[in-house]
Amino acid sequence: MNSDYVISLRNVAKHYPIGDGRFTALQDINLDFSQGEFSGLVGPSGSGKTTLLNIIGSLDSPSEGTASVLGKNIATLSHKESAQLRNREIGFIFQVYNLLPVYTVFENVEFALLLQNRSEAERKKAVMDALEWVGLTHLADKKPSKLSGGEGQRVAIARAMVKRPSIVLADEPSANLDARNTHGILQTMKDLNRELKTTFLFSTHDEKVMQYLERIIHLDDGRIAQDEIVHAQSTPT
Amino acid sequence: MIRFLIKGILRDKNRSLLPVVIVSIGVLLTVFLSGYIRGVMGDMIDLTARFQTGHLKVMSKAYADNQDQMPNDLALVDLSRLLQELKQDNPKYDWKPRIHFGGLVDVPGPGGETRSQGPGTGLAFDLLSPGSSEIDRLNIQNSLVRGALPATPGEALLSEDFAQKLGVQPGETITFFGSTMNGAMAFRNFTVSGTVKFGSAAMDRGTLIADLGDAQDMLDMDNSAGEIVGYHNAGAYEDEDARSLAAHFNKNHADGDEFEPVMQTLGQQNNMGAMLQYTDHMAAIFVGIFVFAMSLVLWNTGLLGGLRRYQEFGIRLALGESKGAIYRSLFTEAVIIGLLGSIAGTTFGVLFCFLLQKYGIDISSVMQDSSMMYPNRLRARMSLDLFVIGFIPGLFSMVLGNLLAGIGIYKRETAQLFKELEV
Ligand SMILES: Nc1ncnc2c1ncn2[C@@H]1O[C@H](COP(=O)(O)OP(=O)(O)OP(=O)(O)O)[C@@H](O)[C@H]1O
Ligand SMILES: [Mg+2]
Repeated sequence: MNSDYVISLRNVAKHYPIGDGRFTALQDINLDFSQGEFSGLVGPSGSGKTTLLNIIGSLDSPSEGTASVLGKNIATLSHKESAQLRNREIGFIFQVYNLLPVYTVFENVEFALLLQNRSEAERKKAVMDALEWVGLTHLADKKPSKLSGGEGQRVAIARAMVKRPSIVLADEPSANLDARNTHGILQTMKDLNRELKTTFLFSTHDEKVMQYLERIIHLDDGRIAQDEIVHAQSTPT
Repeated sequence: MIRFLIKGILRDKNRSLLPVVIVSIGVLLTVFLSGYIRGVMGDMIDLTARFQTGHLKVMSKAYADNQDQMPNDLALVDLSRLLQELKQDNPKYDWKPRIHFGGLVDVPGPGGETRSQGPGTGLAFDLLSPGSSEIDRLNIQNSLVRGALPATPGEALLSEDFAQKLGVQPGETITFFGSTMNGAMAFRNFTVSGTVKFGSAAMDRGTLIADLGDAQDMLDMDNSAGEIVGYHNAGAYEDEDARSLAAHFNKNHADGDEFEPVMQTLGQQNNMGAMLQYTDHMAAIFVGIFVFAMSLVLWNTGLLGGLRRYQEFGIRLALGESKGAIYRSLFTEAVIIGLLGSIAGTTFGVLFCFLLQKYGIDISSVMQDSSMMYPNRLRARMSLDLFVIGFIPGLFSMVLGNLLAGIGIYKRETAQLFKELEV
């Protein structure tokens, strides 16, 4: 395992038991990601994108091979250790913004920091910084139900970024957004990527998202079909 | 984190309201029913103690065996010596002789012919000595409906219902017919000084209350009485104390003669012991049923709530909370909700008990034909343990229900859980 890589996957496979046999969702996955990469998994529905993101995010573990994230072997982590890894180092952004409905924007973003037992002053500052990155400080006291789709997804980005994780995993973050909002949040993420050197890994079938990616990994039927370095337009229209 | 959970509970009415209401209602019922049972039982026991059994009662062995026949031929003799012994050995108790007797009350017309007539039960005790403790104990003053308390020998009280049935007014004369201690015919004229109503159907049906001296005179029971009742000076019945006292007395009077006095405690008479135990058991049974039923219901609401919150759990997992931590936070939430529900339920339960203690419910129409010593007004009884009786089980069933519900979440693989959480 090369410790220069933030994420390192070796011969990763994932099987699900189905009836008497098994279904293979991922196979022969070999991938490395360096710090600061802005890359994406692209492929048709069912090709294994979410499965792979979940393994990298230590929500799931591979059936074969090794997945190591920041030098830690996912398969050997305890519940507690993997929770800690997610809490400190990994930010998730989902297709649906998945904000906790009873809490305000501020509290939603604050939650990850509560888990880290940070002081109130520290939390407040970090949350306001994160809301500022996504341009939503004025909505801090609103409930998620009062937000537009784009605003909700930007809160989700703030929540993922507030703890300044090494890695952000974004599973189809634009699926519920219109073109203008999609460009908006991607631009925000790209800026954060540059500023904080955060490694971003997307899963998407959205052309608009792909425009921003610097590296595109094509998945097909659980295998890597193509792994290409692209030079994203810095300011797509 | 606790603050975070509390905010969630308070804002998410779906999550908190139903369980809080369920717990409250359960706790309320438990608290209220326990207070109620104890009130009813307690009143019944208290009334029985005052009128019938005493905290302790001394009778002759033979009288004790046939008590319900009021067999005054088997009454205690040499009363003054026995009284003196009791007072000397057991000064903690107030010892009072009483006579129960049966007979016929006859109301004479102006010409001496019988105007009306009815069977009556006589109760005689110390009515005339100034400051007699019996007057308070039997609540005579407050029970007076018409007229006044007897002030001189030859005066008696009739129960109000009886007096009305016989058509007797205070001031009029009645004749009581019975039999003496030796089996001869006994009769005596009494002036009805007043009428009483005790609020217990058994006592209100046909009672004549006379002074002990008059009864002794009429029944040829000089220096004799059917029974001596003893009441603890502190007021409340102390089972253990009474028992040891009775055991001691009975050991000293164990000659085997059937006229030898025996002492019985409240618990040993009229199945009162069973009643006392029953009262305690009922409370335990309520709590048991309550915990069981509430846990089931709360388990279910917990399951439903859990399903509804899968998304939330998924987000929290992704944000780096471990399954264990989520499970523990469910536990904490259950404790908070259980506390809220228990506080509310206990408050209302105790409040209802208090109201029922203060005002009572009139059940005299239901109890009309009962011969049990039963108060006509149902009352609850307040006591400190009412605060605990519902509280702990309320909390317990909420936590138990939620932990059962949470097991499903805990047992599932994180990945599996997370997938289900995805929308
Ligand atoms: N728990 C499971 N048991 C069985 N099969 C599963 C399970 N989870 C996922 N799969 C299967 O694995 C395959 C890959 O699923 P995955 O969710 O990774 O696809 P995806 O690329 O994210 O698709 P989409 O674009 O629709 O989100 C799918 O065929 C899916 O049905
Ligand atoms: Mg997917």
